[in-house]
Amino acid sequence: MLDNLDDLASLVHTPLFGILLTLASYRFALWVYGRSNSLPLFHPFLVASIPVIIVLPLVGVNYEEYREQTSLISFLLGPATVALAWPLYRQLHTVRTVLTPILIATVIGAVIAAAIAVGLAWWLGAPPEVVGSLAPKSITTPIAVEVVKSTGGYVSLAAGAVAITGIVGALAAGPIFRLLKVTDHRIKGFALGLVAHAIGTARAFEYGEKAGAFAGLALGLCGLVTAMALPWIWPWVAQYL
Amino acid sequence: MIDGLLILLFFQFLGEVVIRLTGIPLPAPVVGMVLLLIALLLEAPFTQRVAPAAGALIKHISLLIFPLGVGIVLQWHRYEDYALALGVAVVLGTLLSLVVVTLMLKKLLGGKYQETGGKDAR
Repeated sequence: MLDNLDDLASLVHTPLFGILLTLASYRFALWVYGRSNSLPLFHPFLVASIPVIIVLPLVGVNYEEYREQTSLISFLLGPATVALAWPLYRQLHTVRTVLTPILIATVIGAVIAAAIAVGLAWWLGAPPEVVGSLAPKSITTPIAVEVVKSTGGYVSLAAGAVAITGIVGALAAGPIFRLLKVTDHRIKGFALGLVAHAIGTARAFEYGEKAGAFAGLALGLCGLVTAMALPWIWPWVAQYL
Repeated sequence: MIDGLLILLFFQFLGEVVIRLTGIPLPAPVVGMVLLLIALLLEAPFTQRVAPAAGALIKHISLLIFPLGVGIVLQWHRYEDYALALGVAVVLGTLLSLVVVTLMLKKLLGGKYQETGGKDAR
């Protein structure tokens, strides 16, 4: 009997357990998100994390082992990044008339978003690895977790910083646009997509199709520009940290 | 779905090949994304079939990401000393970025690039 129980307990150390827990938590989070009418505060990223954070210590599985168990899920981040070419391709058509200012805005905006995060963290005394984890915080997560490898940052910190950036951006967008008297839906969409990536894009669609398209474009372009530039620029930035 | 997955993995693989051949310091999936975008813009055969798989992966991106994010809590000992710097950089940094980017866009998209109207514009 005791042997059987031991056998049962060892189940938690299999990939099956990790993946089942992950998928069940995500399904639960989708349900909560739907019930909350897609409130950014109840974003699946946050809610899905809660059952995992509670269950893993209870059954005695540490974070490294859990990462190992769910490597199949993490593997899909690669193809998911490649997949971003599709919405980018679809949205490039819709903005042909303003392509020049859009491209300029992307480059300047990507630099501003990264520089503010890096600057603040550095100024408050964070060590280089932490500062490096924040550099890609405004870009979409699959790209950010790739880019963070070139800035010597922590993958989990980068993923979390990206998610919180998205949530804060989506929550603050309404008041900030009112304060700055923004009525142009292209600006609302583009600012949201650029600073708050996918979560901001979901928020932008609430302003309408046009805002959503501009947000999706900003998300794709900003991710692309940052991913292309950061690995080259970072060694130069890092020597001052 | 299978066609789409095949295309995505093929372009990610191409990205790996390019990186190994050239030694550029970029992530392979990002290079794959650029190559796929170019292929789509050039209307390369079959590339449009990427849509269902691409849509599904992007729709459930949170599922792929959050297992990484739980590390913040589960490895909190690694970050607790910098909690203030982190919190300020992420929250204040985001608010500041949003304000600055919005102001810049108002400048760039005003003037001759002003919105031409339509139902969406108000």
